[in-house]
Amino acid sequence: MERAGHLPGLSADAVDWRTLTFRRGAETLDVAVPVLTEAQIAEVATRVRTNARACLKNRTVAEIAAVIDRAVARLLDRNGPWRQKAERLLPLVTGYDAEMVRLGLTGYLKTFRGPELRKFLAEDFANPAVLDDFQPMPKGGFARAFGPELLLHVWAGNVPGLPLWSLISGLLVKAGTVGKLPSAEPLFAGWFAQILAEIDPELAGCIAIVWWRGGDETTERAWLARADTVVAYGGNDALEAIRARVPVTARFLPYGHKISFAMVARSALDAAKAGAVARQAAYDVARYDQQGCYSPQTVFVERGGRVSPREFAGYLAHELDAIGSKFPRRSLSMAEAGSVASWRNAEETKGFADPSRALLGDPAGSWAVAYTDAADGLLPCGLNRTVTVVAVDRLADAVPGLAPYRAFLQTVGIAAAPEELFALAGALGAVGVTRLCALGRMTAPEAGWHHDGRFNLLDLVTMTEIEGSAERAADAFAPYTD
Amino acid sequence: MTEARLVEDLLAFIAAGEADEEAFNRMALAVFAHQFETNAPYRRFATQRARTLRTVKSWRDVPAVPISAFKDLTLSGRPPEECPHVFMTSGTTKGVRGKSHHPTLAVYDRSMTVNFRRRFMGDFERLRMGILFPTEQAMPNSSLAHYLALARSEFGTADSRYFVSDAGLDVDGAVEELSRAEATGEPYALLGASFSVVHLMDALAERGRRFALPAGSRILDTGGFKGQSREMAAEEFYGRLSAAFGVPRRLCINMYGMTELSTQFYDDGNEACPSVKSGPHWIRSRVINPLTGQEVPRGSTGVLVHHDLAHFNCASAILTEDAGVEVEGGFQLLGRADGADAKGCSMAVEDFLKAARAP
Repeated sequence: MERAGHLPGLSADAVDWRTLTFRRGAETLDVAVPVLTEAQIAEVATRVRTNARACLKNRTVAEIAAVIDRAVARLLDRNGPWRQKAERLLPLVTGYDAEMVRLGLTGYLKTFRGPELRKFLAEDFANPAVLDDFQPMPKGGFARAFGPELLLHVWAGNVPGLPLWSLISGLLVKAGTVGKLPSAEPLFAGWFAQILAEIDPELAGCIAIVWWRGGDETTERAWLARADTVVAYGGNDALEAIRARVPVTARFLPYGHKISFAMVARSALDAAKAGAVARQAAYDVARYDQQGCYSPQTVFVERGGRVSPREFAGYLAHELDAIGSKFPRRSLSMAEAGSVASWRNAEETKGFADPSRALLGDPAGSWAVAYTDAADGLLPCGLNRTVTVVAVDRLADAVPGLAPYRAFLQTVGIAAAPEELFALAGALGAVGVTRLCALGRMTAPEAGWHHDGRFNLLDLVTMTEIEGSAERAADAFAPYTD
Repeated sequence: MTEARLVEDLLAFIAAGEADEEAFNRMALAVFAHQFETNAPYRRFATQRARTLRTVKSWRDVPAVPISAFKDLTLSGRPPEECPHVFMTSGTTKGVRGKSHHPTLAVYDRSMTVNFRRRFMGDFERLRMGILFPTEQAMPNSSLAHYLALARSEFGTADSRYFVSDAGLDVDGAVEELSRAEATGEPYALLGASFSVVHLMDALAERGRRFALPAGSRILDTGGFKGQSREMAAEEFYGRLSAAFGVPRRLCINMYGMTELSTQFYDDGNEACPSVKSGPHWIRSRVINPLTGQEVPRGSTGVLVHHDLAHFNCASAILTEDAGVEVEGGFQLLGRADGADAKGCSMAVEDFLKAARAP
């Protein structure tokens, strides 16, 4: 039995626990998640708020970052107990291949080391000291940035460690933090808080990691009513339901589901390069079985290269097959298998009407590549290692068709020459794409990434300004005034 | 074999009252041969899977067409323009409707009536019926409208009537009929779409009306809820149903049918949910892993494949999107086998289409 969450000031015995059971093959893991009463919610919220006021607000951002760095170091240490626990239990909980989880964790955690945290800060604040004290402003006067006293995160999904992104962002702006664990991966965020508690109990007292059943309106309302700012992840329906319950005075920052895709220019399609490009694209498809918003679902491939789009689809199929033997896909629920099957069936059926279409896949159904010559545009696939290769005369031709999906576009993994990259970036940004990266890097955003084009830290703070007039007027009241 | 001969054989097969594995197999292979020969898209589909007249030796080998294919392909042995009856699905997220063409309804109607008598009518020849669905005239392409019209003409008394029209649900009319049944003691049958039944129950609850229908009265619902009224778990639904009309749950029967079939499945009431569904001897079902097409071990969840010999003009083996599990005496339906809850933040097809259609 693994106990999830982190509840400063509440003894475990005082709390009701519910068991979530995870099964992979013969292995079973029971995870106990806390179920708080309304009184306990009030108590924890007040404590986090009070502690944050007393502790976080008096620390410098550099001191906080140093503690986070030490916690991340413990998670990166492969011989450390936390890391070993993570490597053992996360594959069991999420179903992802153990080696994929291990590599993914390292790559991801590296983006939160000390120097990387400074990048986070520098991305959003010209002068990060503005989080510590009033700083002179170009327009005159002074300003200081304050994070919310109580920041509520509503996390979702099973990509291991994902909650860390917003959790750390909140700490960097000195926010008292309450995070709601996702039922699909209820461990990682709580572990992180517990590691912080080992290093710096005072700081960990400013964080509560809680749980409630998705759709438990009463509990959700109780938390939402107490938050100054709410960061929420999920599908639009879930986000809409949350938004309706957020007090109008609180700031609401929703991160909805997104769709991403890849683009391969003919300049990347000579015999020497195409194989490597396909391998990188396949890696992006396979990583976390396409559960991430940054995972590609379509690959636009330009005609006219030495390797044709149809041949590239074959390369991609070959690479997916190879990755599958190294990092097998997690076993799917019947519902997920059904989604993959209906996508495959639909693609196959379209092939009867249009012989230019093809479906490449292994008989066991562990991956599939659909190919089309038609001007199909962006289409979601069946997820779990399924992808459509769409042939286009020029990559720019694919852009106008993206416009209707502006609100849902996120990452484009791109293989193209520099001029093409910048020309396409302008067009893609204009239709709503917020991130371009190399193929092979789609699922590993760099430190300080502006998630969905937003400011991780800046969105969380409010500025308090001392206008020049106050400063000048103050002079009149100084003891040394003439 | 000509179509006329096949129809004759099928009617005889239904009339035979039972079929062992060998008899079912023989008929299934004849139907497959007919479909393979007359239905070009189906032949391409089967050939792609290396299933031909030579390789298909058992009904289990007959390739099952995914129901989504009925939207993209015209699966009809006879040219569609020669088929006076076309049943269509009620539209989907993609806005394309799947079609099933019927050159004749002789087999469909025989399949329905033989099975309906056995599974719904009990000892009654006819029952006074109230139908919670539009008429066949109002919905000429609805297989359910045809099914219910047939139920009324073949098994309903002359004064059976519809409670759904252009004007919507006729609650007053239903209350009047149900009160009359209560007063006269004449057993009554209420039939219709599950969501209309929910609407009626909601309307009755609002009026504070409950009924205790006479002994022998029964209810048939079908179709699930399809977003037309609030979702209700089966347990709650049948609990409320029984309480609202005073019909025991063993006489609250659920029919499971599809536009892509010519035969229906029924349960023997809903005292326990999920109930066990079964069909007559001319339809057989398998539970498979949708990705590999292999049958799952008995008792495991999978996706249902139905092999309906009566659906002779289209494709008699279909791969559904319904999850199910094989149990003693039939199978249990466990909801739809797609639209998986997103595990991550990657957008899934349904959400995407919904979002793209939003203004």
